[in-house]
Amino acid sequence: MNNKNIFRRIISTRGMGQVITVSFGLVVLIIAFGFMNPTFLSGKNIGNLLRQIAPILLIGIGQSYLLITGNIDLSIGSVVGMSCMISATLMTKGVNPWVAVAVTFCCCLVVGVVNGTLVAGCGLPPFIATLGTMTIARGIAQIVNNNYNTDSIGLGAEGFRNFFYYGKVIGLYNTIIIAVLFWLVFNFVLNRTRFGRHVYAVGSNIDASRLSGVNITKTITMAYMVSSICSCTVGLVICATSGMGTMDAGNMYEMYGVAASVIGGISPLGGQGILLGTVIGASIWGTLQNGLQFAGAPVAIRNILIGIIVVVSVLVDIMVRKGKFASRKKRSIK
Amino acid sequence: MEMEHIDKSFPGVKALDDVSFRLRAGEVMALLGENGAGKSTLMKILSGVYPKDSGTIRIFEKDVQDINPKKAQELGVAIIHQELNLCGHLTVAENIFLGHETMKNGLLSDKEMRLEAKKVLDELNMDISPDAVVGDLAVSKQQMIEIAKALSINAKILIMDEPTSALTSKEIEDLFLIIRKLTSQGMGIVYISHRLEELQHIVDRITIMRDGKYITSMDFKDTSLQEIITNMVGREIKEKFPRVSCAKGKKILEVKHLNAGNMVKDISLELYEGEIVGIAGLMGAGRTETTRAIFGVDPKESGEIILDGETIHINNPMDAIRAGIVLAPEDRKKDGLCTKLSIRENVGLPNLDFLSNRFGIIKRKKEEKITMQAVDNLKIKVSSIENNADSLSGGNMQKVVVGKWLARKSRVVIFDEPTRGIDVGAKVEIYHLMNDLKKQGIGVMFVSSEMPEVIGISDRVIVMCDGRITGVFSTEEVSQDLILECATKFESKLDGTMELQEHVRKSVQTGGKHE
Repeated sequence: MNNKNIFRRIISTRGMGQVITVSFGLVVLIIAFGFMNPTFLSGKNIGNLLRQIAPILLIGIGQSYLLITGNIDLSIGSVVGMSCMISATLMTKGVNPWVAVAVTFCCCLVVGVVNGTLVAGCGLPPFIATLGTMTIARGIAQIVNNNYNTDSIGLGAEGFRNFFYYGKVIGLYNTIIIAVLFWLVFNFVLNRTRFGRHVYAVGSNIDASRLSGVNITKTITMAYMVSSICSCTVGLVICATSGMGTMDAGNMYEMYGVAASVIGGISPLGGQGILLGTVIGASIWGTLQNGLQFAGAPVAIRNILIGIIVVVSVLVDIMVRKGKFASRKKRSIK
Repeated sequence: MEMEHIDKSFPGVKALDDVSFRLRAGEVMALLGENGAGKSTLMKILSGVYPKDSGTIRIFEKDVQDINPKKAQELGVAIIHQELNLCGHLTVAENIFLGHETMKNGLLSDKEMRLEAKKVLDELNMDISPDAVVGDLAVSKQQMIEIAKALSINAKILIMDEPTSALTSKEIEDLFLIIRKLTSQGMGIVYISHRLEELQHIVDRITIMRDGKYITSMDFKDTSLQEIITNMVGREIKEKFPRVSCAKGKKILEVKHLNAGNMVKDISLELYEGEIVGIAGLMGAGRTETTRAIFGVDPKESGEIILDGETIHINNPMDAIRAGIVLAPEDRKKDGLCTKLSIRENVGLPNLDFLSNRFGIIKRKKEEKITMQAVDNLKIKVSSIENNADSLSGGNMQKVVVGKWLARKSRVVIFDEPTRGIDVGAKVEIYHLMNDLKKQGIGVMFVSSEMPEVIGISDRVIVMCDGRITGVFSTEEVSQDLILECATKFESKLDGTMELQEHVRKSVQTGGKHE
């Protein structure tokens, strides 16, 4: 009886309906790919798959926060690049890896604060403000090592590389563990703290929130900071993976974040969606990449298919909403 | 609470000029004035939305500086704005506690907030679940949630800006009951409304403002409606409902057996040259839906529309406009105007077909000319036709909406609630405008929830209920009682089967929902 109640409560959680629908899609994908090539379901590939999903999930968490507030962060990919280059450059110069990590986090947070200030403080449209910081952050990524990718970050950074990529805890790669921890923390923040509630409120009706005494500037700035923390982490993961800094690391990642969020049912118009959806969205994205590779589809076909899936999933969302709106109208008329 | 010598300027306008205002505990003070008189601005200063330029504010005999919305909440000032301010995606409880969430160990305490919300809602006798999503509720319920929100911050001063404009009479009565209950607990209420006839039920004192200045304050019982109006307008309005008589010409429009959705059932009506037809009814009676169906916004299931003796097919608004049937919608800002475009661009928008040459290039001169014509003919008060449409007051916006249609030779003009939310003076101008149209031989049809207006201005009154026409009266025979009787004629005369009774009961209950 009690179990049933919990189950019902989970089902009736706001935004859960869509997540369940998308989850079915994910299951279908996995089964289909498994049929096409049984090695897809091998333990080794699942491990790899999860490790591929992890960065997209991290990016998606940050972008989801912003989409829920009704904003967007285009600077994510560049911050990933910046984080990768700053940390790698510092390490090649012999800085202790953990100090390098701390410095990198600080630099990336600055981008988040700037984004938030421009958007919420100065009233710039988020698209334009973060387009600017996107270009600037990429420029910084290029300038830190004089327009070259860095050399290998060296043996002194083994601990760093293991921590972010190669190490394993309870049989799972660290990257996965990090992504899951991030998700747990930020999901908790979004659902159980005042800041999280304000994120939803601002996205739902910014005027009402302001009049209710919500600090809009603070809320939006903090959301941008969440996003830059996530991007920074992904940059560090990439650095740890390849053992060097690459200037164009994270290119287009902001769009992967948007894709993961909207596939998972987070409305790009704000106020709606849950972070569980982002997990499913990121998983679908990663599964498609990995699965299509296994199925032997060339990169071009992969891109086309993935593009179609993004558009269709948002289209379905719009149609569902229209349907919902119509039925609401009908109800009130009866 | 006291506000003294408040000044406030916006770029180019002095919005408030040395205004003073006093509110005692336990009283209902009506703040009256025409649109643009500065009532809302004054209240927004009190609630911390705008900063003041000079003057002092004292709340419970304490000077208060630098109010912001959060501080105002802490001081016990709550405001219910004219436009509802709720987050549609969040639940009732979440909305009620937005900005002052209950916390436990630094975390949200949903359980407590839900219980507390339930308590407040019970106090208001509102049967709403705290877990309901606000966007799914009817407008009247949302209004109640705003009140609940005010109560949850233990407000001592409650400001209500046009709280009844979206409510039905039954709901207004409920609201008044709540207001009385609140004042008996010592709460001071500022009540802003254009519906003067409501005041007698609740108001203790009134303050009148005009053009940003304080005019007078008095006890309600010592004054008369006429005196209030005179003070508000600064001139005496002799006839509230000017009427011109005009020979009834030939039939312009005939609608036969129109069906569209649940709300338009077998509507047949006629419209003649030189007459104004008023459509009365309660909210949710299907009046708006009928106008939308005629105009081609919503799809029709069956029925015939005959214009000047010819059957025409209207599948979308474009067809209607081409044929000469135009609609001035209920929500001017949302459906009537592109508020971010200039007045010229707004007037030009539906007329671009004859304003542009065959390459689609717009003839600017011609566009300016028709806009100037509209401004002159309708006496729209503008400093420049290049100003944004949202810089206008409600009444002038309405005129721009009409102006854009009159630039093309329209045959039938349909107004949906043309005077909602605009002040007494501007209302009379809208009536004059309708009369002018009537004199030009244009058929005028208008939907209105204000019965005196329907009776005062139309030559024929059609009453709707539940998507059907339940009565048609000429001016001579119509009365408020008659309209009300027909407006509540739900489908109860049919067979008394259980199913039907159930349906009737439901429609009575939900009859007040937003159209």
